[in-house]
Amino acid sequence: MSVPQAQAQNQSQPNALALVKRDTVDVVAARIRQFVQDGELALPANYSPENAMKSAWLILQSTVDKERRPVLKACTKESIANALLDMVIQGLNPAKRQCYFIPYGDQLVCQRSYFGDEALVLRVKPDANIWYGVVYEGDEFEYQMERGLRKITKHVQQITNIKPDKIIAAYCVIEGKDGQVIHTEVMTIDQIHKSWQQSKTYRANGDGPHNNFPDQMCLRTAIRRASKAIINSSSDDYLLLERVNRSDEVGAEAEIEAEVEANANGEIIDAETKPAPAEPQVAAAKEQAPAVQSPAPQAPTKAPPAQQAKQTRLGEPGF
Amino acid sequence: MVDFKAHASSSAGNLYTVTDGGKTLVIECGVRFKTLQSALGFSLSSVSGLLVSHAHQDHAACIQDVLRASVPCYMSEGTAQALGVAGHHRTHILTGLRQVDIGGWTVLPFGVIHDADEPLGFLIVAPGGDRLVYAVDTAYVPYRFERLSVIAIEANFSLDTIRRNVASGEIALSHKNRVIQNHMSIERALDMLRANDLSQVREIHLLHLSDGNSDAEAFRRQVQELTGKPVYVAARQ
Repeated sequence: MSVPQAQAQNQSQPNALALVKRDTVDVVAARIRQFVQDGELALPANYSPENAMKSAWLILQSTVDKERRPVLKACTKESIANALLDMVIQGLNPAKRQCYFIPYGDQLVCQRSYFGDEALVLRVKPDANIWYGVVYEGDEFEYQMERGLRKITKHVQQITNIKPDKIIAAYCVIEGKDGQVIHTEVMTIDQIHKSWQQSKTYRANGDGPHNNFPDQMCLRTAIRRASKAIINSSSDDYLLLERVNRSDEVGAEAEIEAEVEANANGEIIDAETKPAPAEPQVAAAKEQAPAVQSPAPQAPTKAPPAQQAKQTRLGEPGF
Repeated sequence: MVDFKAHASSSAGNLYTVTDGGKTLVIECGVRFKTLQSALGFSLSSVSGLLVSHAHQDHAACIQDVLRASVPCYMSEGTAQALGVAGHHRTHILTGLRQVDIGGWTVLPFGVIHDADEPLGFLIVAPGGDRLVYAVDTAYVPYRFERLSVIAIEANFSLDTIRRNVASGEIALSHKNRVIQNHMSIERALDMLRANDLSQVREIHLLHLSDGNSDAEAFRRQVQELTGKPVYVAARQ
């Protein structure tokens, strides 16, 4: 249950907020302390859960959902607490844009950004070094296969090659101690587009961040994929891995469920059993020229327009 | 009385027929052409046309053979392009919410939610007047319908089962995310049935169950308990 509306209105604002804070921030802080005491959670030395929590609480107070309702009212306390727990256990700081708090219906989700992915890589491999780049048409880009692994040997770029519509690939390399390559991710633009098609916010000819900042978004995709490989394979920190997976899973579930909630079983449609004469009459028995028309406005085959405002924070690279 | 039959129904292949008064409409052709021919008793003469929901192979594998066999084939522009049959003289392009008449059948296609180019579901009015809705390979059904006699919808997975399968390492999380975004769960199928007027519905068909993430008997029971209608779960083939 979210905070009862009536109660929120009858009480002065700070009071209602204090109640939410008590049921979320304070509960989570206590649980984190317990985890640390029990030796279940080893937070990075330079990470202050208190600071991250303070930042998160400030951000949450000014975060609204797509109906402009404050998320602290619209989302369940349980989901708020879980989002904060996800944040702290992963050692993320929202002030450094390592994660965002996104409401899907009444579920608040802590979504890692690619800065957060990098932070996690450094956490499981403290001496790792991450570097990446975008390859444009006309660049000299070479790699060798060494025992089935790619090793990038050359990337020369003229500044005149940098054109947003001429991206051919993006790469991300994660090195361990002494520059030894642990993982190389090279993704062609086709592979990147395929990956984007899995994202609800991507429209091939739309006006989203993928279209406006393709270089940043290509990097993000390559970095995320490289980071995932490291995070999933190199940590024996069970609590951390569980939380990484939980937050990824909860985010995907909440997103589609919110869309179902908003769009499923909507308006009633029906067929006229006397077809309108304007329709192409196609008799099965007689062959005729194909009724190929240019497609008229379509029913939503991807998320309808109502969905497009779902992500209020995506209008910038770095998400 | 319209008769709906599932001949193959899984991610390995899909083929359905709707028959009324000696006329047949085929939905999907994601099987070997021989299988399609044998399902139709080796005679395509009674077939008014073929509807293809989207271009994935398990729905459209033998499209070229069906076109060659003089059957008019109906699909969206996106599907036709992806299958490379957009220019064929027996390919007819469907547009969401624009109904067509196919030899006595009235078909109203509608856009659905799946990771293909322009996927469709179909509201079909049989020559005898029975109304049937078909929606497979979609995260959910975007619309509601009236006076339905037959409902044929996907019930691909149950959320609990797919969660368990991720937890046990049976399937990858990325796979689960793809499934929940592109296929209809039993929970969402039940929501669809709750949202529609079922007073004239004679039968409900559950289609396209996944191998590891579903439970045919439990799904059948849940739908039967909710609706009180005869429920048929499509066999894989």
